Amino acid sequence: MWVDLFQNTIEGMANGSAYALMALGFTLMFGVVGKLNLAYGAVLMVGVYAGVYVHLEWQAGWAASAVAVVLGAVVAGIYVERTCFAPMRHGAAITSMVASFAIWMQLEEAATLALPRHSYPFPSLVEGTVIHLGPLLLRRDHLVMLAVALVVMAALEWLVRGSRFGLGLRAIAENPRAAGFVGRNVERTLFFAFVLASAVGGVAGWLVASADQHVSAMFGMWATFKGLIAAMLGGLGSLRGAVAGGLLLGVVEAHALWLAGPQIRDLCAYLLLFLLLILRPGGLSGQARIQRDAAAYGRL
Amino acid sequence: MDAFMVGVVANIGMMALLALSAYLLLLVGEVSFGQQAFFGIGAYAAGIATALWGWPLAPAILFAALAGAVGQFGVALPTLRLRGFHFSVATLAFAEAVRILLELFHYRRPVDGHLMGPDGEHGFRDVRYIFDNGIGALDYMLGIWLLLALVLAAFAFLERSRIGPRLRMIGEDDVLAALNGIDVIRYRLVASAGAGALAACAGGLYIHSVTYVEPGVFSVMLGVHTLAYGLIGGLGTAFGPLLGVLIDIGFLETLHGLSQYRMIVFGGLVALLLILRPRGLLDEPLANRLGRWLGRVR
Repeated sequence: MWVDLFQNTIEGMANGSAYALMALGFTLMFGVVGKLNLAYGAVLMVGVYAGVYVHLEWQAGWAASAVAVVLGAVVAGIYVERTCFAPMRHGAAITSMVASFAIWMQLEEAATLALPRHSYPFPSLVEGTVIHLGPLLLRRDHLVMLAVALVVMAALEWLVRGSRFGLGLRAIAENPRAAGFVGRNVERTLFFAFVLASAVGGVAGWLVASADQHVSAMFGMWATFKGLIAAMLGGLGSLRGAVAGGLLLGVVEAHALWLAGPQIRDLCAYLLLFLLLILRPGGLSGQARIQRDAAAYGRL
Repeated sequence: MDAFMVGVVANIGMMALLALSAYLLLLVGEVSFGQQAFFGIGAYAAGIATALWGWPLAPAILFAALAGAVGQFGVALPTLRLRGFHFSVATLAFAEAVRILLELFHYRRPVDGHLMGPDGEHGFRDVRYIFDNGIGALDYMLGIWLLLALVLAAFAFLERSRIGPRLRMIGEDDVLAALNGIDVIRYRLVASAGAGALAACAGGLYIHSVTYVEPGVFSVMLGVHTLAYGLIGGLGTAFGPLLGVLIDIGFLETLHGLSQYRMIVFGGLVALLLILRPRGLLDEPLANRLGRWLGRVR
């Protein structure tokens, strides 16, 4: 009983670390432009498909595929930023969101036209040996997943909190006009925020694909939903919240899968998101802002 | 008209009804990614009513509309305080949850010696009311368009009454609308119930025209299209969503060379239009000009 509980929690943490990376991408983009990029999962899918293509065409190993995944995601991310966000800087948030939804469909269709089979093999990072730790079984690739995710998270944390670029990013998130007045190049910083988010997402996509050892045409939708749910759980715009939300989602899903099967697992994820939005629209963190808005609204 | 064209025209009519449900919500400023859920609920409700309970078609469609209205009213109540993308994501999550619930939904009953009804992932087969009662495809298509004409007339009436401008005012700025003494909550709830009824009607008509649906039909893809029709066609008049459907199904799907690249063209078109004309082809200024011009002609 307890062993199962621990086992599921560990597996959930491994998956959850990939969710956390995707949530970080969502949150990074939302934090700086205040708009939701629904094409993010499709961007990851393009990246993963680029990795598959390199693998199929030139029998590339994991390293070359990893580079291809990240590069593919960055290129697709730039395309999304240029079509959905750059031309509508000052427009309503909803307009960009709907445009990104349309581009999502476009990228997904383009990816499936390029590689039309339902699923493709993906090079695995480490062969799936397990480590016995007392009664627990640890998958080696899960450990790699956790480690890589932790490194990326630490790097991101330093970039946002410690570097000059991060200072600009946070200034723009606070107030883009004021940041522009004090000499930050807002356009360029936003552009690089999208590039960064796409690269982080690319790493997440590569981790998931190499742990699963295959990629299906559902990857884009899957990534959008998992990343979005995790980011919303943590409170959109909060980096630490995104990590917490990702891990929480991973653990909840692992238990739901073990208890009731894959359909109930997905149902749980959606219901969790729906209930959370109703009960705490600001997520686990970031509720204060929502309440301030609601209070202002109530006074009117 | 040959059978293919009749099918396409019927499809346009049903999709226009669905697109109008998203349009009604867009009017009050709510971007719903989840209308496909009520389309699905309507399809299952109407299919169960005719195939399992032996109801005639008209009451079955009415029953579906009622189920859709109650369903979306139920979703609207807890999501009232959500605005912007929070609302959109909530509807998306709800719709996906409904799709999975339909995959788990079994309701099998023997009818004429055969086991009938929704069978989880395998979908809902043999909703054959149209064929068993000798209703031709052309007649059914005309019936769909008659209903669509009635709905469009109702929208036109709404726009001319005091309700239309109020709905648009809520969509433009709900706080300002509330300050002007408009009961925002009541309007939003009624609009939601209406949108649910429209989507469910479309679903009820759909299942009878194709005889078979599976939960996969009610995917996010359908939701995107539903929403995009209004945004492409224009938010100035209820004819906007119809124009959007005509562009997509009438033009892109019928052109065989294009159909493979349909989503690529369609997605690009939506993104481009949102940059050039954020409120669609038939946006409010154009709709007003057309309305005045029509008034002069008459």
